Amino acid sequence: MAAPVPGWRRMWGRFRRSTPAVIGLAIALVLLFVALFGRVIAPYPGDIAGSVATAVRFRPPSMVHWFGTNELGQDVFSLVLAGARVSLLSGLAVVVLGSLVGTLVGAIAGFIGGLVDEVLMRVTDLMLTLPSLILAMAVAAALGPGIGNMIIAISVSWWPGFARLVRGEVLARREAQFVEAARAVGAGPMRVLLAHILPNIMSAVMVKMSLDMGFAILTVASLGFVGIGVSPPTPEWGAQLAVSRGFLPDDWWTAIFPGLAIVLAVLACNLLGDGLRDMLDPRAQR
Amino acid sequence: MLRFTLRRLVLLVPVLLGLSLIVFGIARLLPGDPVTLAAGPQATRAEIASLSHELGMDRPLPEQYFTYLRGLVVGDWGQSILTRRPVWQDLRVYLPATLELVVAPMGLAIVIGIPAGLLAAVGRDRWPDHLTRSVSLGAISVPRFFLGLLFQLVFAMWLGWLPLGGRFPIIEDPPSFVTGFLVIDSLIARDGTALLLSLQHLALPAITMCLSPLATIMRMMRASTLEVLQQDYVKTARALGLKPGLILFKYVLKNALSSSLTVIGLYVGWLLGGTVLVETVFDWPGIGLYATKAILTQDFMPVMGVTLAIGVIFVLSNLVTDLLYGWINPMARVE
Amino acid sequence: MISLHRRGFLAGTALAAASPGLAHAQARKILVITSNQDVPNFDPHVATGYSSAALLRNVYDSLLRVEGSPVAVVPHLATAWTVSPDGMEYVFTLNPAAKFHSGGVLTSADVVYSFRRLMRLGKGNAWMLAGIVDDGSTTAVDAHTVKVKLLKPFVAFPQVLPWVWIVSGEQVEANKGADDGQSYLKSNVAGSGAFRIRRNEPGTLYEFERVAGGWKQGGGNLTGAIWRIVRETSSQRLALQRGEAHIAVDLTSEDMDALAGKPGIVSVIEPEFRTFSIKMNTEFGPLADINLRRAVSYAFNYQGMLDSAGYAQLMVGPLPTGIFGQDPTLDVPHTNLVTAREWMAKSKTPQGGFKLTACYVAGLEQERRFALVLLDSLKQLNIELEIKAMVWPDAVASTARPSTTPDFFPVYQTANYGDPDNIAFAAYHSSRNGNWQNPVFHSATVDDLIMKARAETDVEKRRALYLAFQKQVVADAPDLFGVLEKRKLALRSEVKGFVFTPVASNAIELFPLSLA
Repeated sequence: MAAPVPGWRRMWGRFRRSTPAVIGLAIALVLLFVALFGRVIAPYPGDIAGSVATAVRFRPPSMVHWFGTNELGQDVFSLVLAGARVSLLSGLAVVVLGSLVGTLVGAIAGFIGGLVDEVLMRVTDLMLTLPSLILAMAVAAALGPGIGNMIIAISVSWWPGFARLVRGEVLARREAQFVEAARAVGAGPMRVLLAHILPNIMSAVMVKMSLDMGFAILTVASLGFVGIGVSPPTPEWGAQLAVSRGFLPDDWWTAIFPGLAIVLAVLACNLLGDGLRDMLDPRAQR
Repeated sequence: MLRFTLRRLVLLVPVLLGLSLIVFGIARLLPGDPVTLAAGPQATRAEIASLSHELGMDRPLPEQYFTYLRGLVVGDWGQSILTRRPVWQDLRVYLPATLELVVAPMGLAIVIGIPAGLLAAVGRDRWPDHLTRSVSLGAISVPRFFLGLLFQLVFAMWLGWLPLGGRFPIIEDPPSFVTGFLVIDSLIARDGTALLLSLQHLALPAITMCLSPLATIMRMMRASTLEVLQQDYVKTARALGLKPGLILFKYVLKNALSSSLTVIGLYVGWLLGGTVLVETVFDWPGIGLYATKAILTQDFMPVMGVTLAIGVIFVLSNLVTDLLYGWINPMARVE
Repeated sequence: MISLHRRGFLAGTALAAASPGLAHAQARKILVITSNQDVPNFDPHVATGYSSAALLRNVYDSLLRVEGSPVAVVPHLATAWTVSPDGMEYVFTLNPAAKFHSGGVLTSADVVYSFRRLMRLGKGNAWMLAGIVDDGSTTAVDAHTVKVKLLKPFVAFPQVLPWVWIVSGEQVEANKGADDGQSYLKSNVAGSGAFRIRRNEPGTLYEFERVAGGWKQGGGNLTGAIWRIVRETSSQRLALQRGEAHIAVDLTSEDMDALAGKPGIVSVIEPEFRTFSIKMNTEFGPLADINLRRAVSYAFNYQGMLDSAGYAQLMVGPLPTGIFGQDPTLDVPHTNLVTAREWMAKSKTPQGGFKLTACYVAGLEQERRFALVLLDSLKQLNIELEIKAMVWPDAVASTARPSTTPDFFPVYQTANYGDPDNIAFAAYHSSRNGNWQNPVFHSATVDDLIMKARAETDVEKRRALYLAFQKQVVADAPDLFGVLEKRKLALRSEVKGFVFTPVASNAIELFPLSLA
């Protein structure tokens, strides 16, 4: 039997009681704002599009350049602001793509059952044993640089987690009373799946999506760090860190700020994800 | 127990077959023409064709797969197109280095995590609890490569306490190759200096890697200990003025054992696949760097070899933890 | 931290009993060189790249060798040589003392064998002699005399010889296999050099060991050396500062600045014949239009490129400054937006509004910066630039055909011999089309000038030919002439006997070096 859907007000109340979740939400909103309007509020928007100012290379943080300047005299603050878009967008895209494919596979496997279920789940299990980062690196390198290819490469190893989750939920719901009732009144299998089962497992999928978001952002940055991912001049935190680690320890500001930005984004997603889980799925234990 | 073990071993066969098929399939589905790349820019069409023939890449795919599979069984994991060295031989050298980066952090996580989780539970909602929670949160939020860089900056560049990277000082000969694990080989060679040097090099990468399993193990220990503390008999014992220490000790021990096992099962694969970033930061010559180099040159035999090796180790470690579970808790033997 | 010195401290105090093996290690004089480039292949007739050159020049010998600055070609395996008046025939007298690591005497048969194998395989450095010698050119007069009859005159012939390595014919024949010994020599050495390979750990390190009783006497006091792969240049710099390494060969300008004034470090910042230019696709796409190429040449921000390059100087035309025949007064494009827009107006695409592609080799930080400078410059002409990071094999593969070559293709070209023919032939002769050094540019006039200059023996006539060559190349505008980056090396002060040579100076020659 599905848990009765609690009212939004009650859920929000539960969310608000958790201080970490509220902090996470606040940071996430700031990041979202930066991702949307970063190019507008950046003090040196030209630098984001690839302008160089080689006369002011490696300036330490100051009032003019809050986070200093990099090897080409570009404003690190502007680049870090602009990096939010790539990271959040690709993180979100990976999670959405992964959950779509995973939900499809899991729903088919759980609903049809039998041999189909067996084959799909064995493949899913095998995919889960493969090292996801190395797999993503190999696929991304083979597809070539670009945000789209990077997202596809990461999603290749992202769907199996969702597939397992959804299959389990579908199996649990398949024999539930309200589904039986729907069948009894003559609903076809597609209708049962789409109208009665999937909506009831969406909250579980949503929780996993929010919890995965931070990890997806981290994976995007990891690919950038090993030199596979977006092409310049697109600002990306992992790639910025990879270039500027060569300037440690003297020109530390070129590395520290992109790194802190990654930490902040991942932290916000994790806090938010925990909060959402407690809100949508109160049965889950910490 | 024997029957349970045998059954699990037999079940391993289709899993490993499937693993090899999936790795092979992914490698061949990807775009890119490794043969042309390997043949070099000046190669003529005929030279490319002959190289392709030499590498057996002009055969039908199923035949290629069976050749590959047969090789896997007899220890011929193909060869790198660029260096022409057998992948198996390379793995033999690089895998122990990476396993050091898996085993050492795991050990650290267990040794630190169990008492820390215990403390957090006993001091619930006081500072030990908050501290462990913050560490847990930090562990999943700070990227390992950034953490590694920060450690390098502080402990190697500023303070100069520990080496910047590598596994062993460059000018020294490492202890002779027996297992490939420098720490163990130093012990075999009874070379105390070498042992100290390998541990110094291992310290920063191992601490960088250990945070995630540490966070998990702390959370599990905390939760399971809290559960024990809530049990009626502990409450009763307390109410009767008895020291719950003995009971607690017994249950805590069991919990510690099972949560360690869970974490090992969960994290071996994850850590193996995740060393690549830490290896990049610390210039650690393991399979992660090996795979990265192969990926960047589209040399796919080593990539397949690494992926497969990690998959196999993951499957095997799961098997071992399952067996150990079954040993601790006979109920788990029922499928 | 464990420095070379601290190491002794650790061994002595932390653990009272240091093992005999490590005590022995301290008595050895082992030089540590850090490099970010692996040595993929030891085959002297196949391998290319400076890391391979570094390995080969220490384990193999050549007829002649390079020395000093300015570069001189001096006797090595050959104690003396003569040239016929028409420049067509060279006779070399070999040092009878020369012997291989295997103990066998190095004879003229080995020299003949090596030349033939190099040309037969057609890989590695074979291009330096392509069309100059063939299978029958090299003959043994007696056991210690070799005669080389050139197919056509080639003034730079002696300058090429330091890069033709002599293998033991006997040893290679014994391990010939089906591929002319390529599998064997890939990881084995059949040479006569002062050093041999002791440890071979691909991707990590290569350890050299001085050959006991080698044929070359004297030299420095090194008992061995380690070529250690350290990928990050900043890590190389720090290893040097802490005494974990003695020579770092891949430092950036930023690293050199950070090292300035540090105790115990000697910085070497010297001009070298290594050009960087951005090749334009003269065959395919919008840049096939010469007026657009000229517009780009004038719009490019040369100062920005120089700033981001650090220790460097701008090139004047196609040849490196200071090399024979280079014209320092050549009229080359400078940043001038007015001129750029004039040329743009004459082009087929006066309004711009399209997108060009540039690639750079992944991991080459300097090339990435230059690509960004180019992107910034092209905005002035309302042209967008797409920058692609490519792994080296992909970049090489892309140059196979004009249609796959990017609009802008960056090329570093290191002179292996101090003669203008090296750069002129490799980078501008049409026979090199489809190759990364000169993907697409071809001009009958330029080809003719290169071939004439190659064969010309009269110094002044040769100079005139190169002047004409440079004018013609500038007129054709195939490249954005970039920078000559200075060679940046740093050594610890205990390294003695190092003399900078502006040819392949990062392929360190170990023989003369000592550790104090």
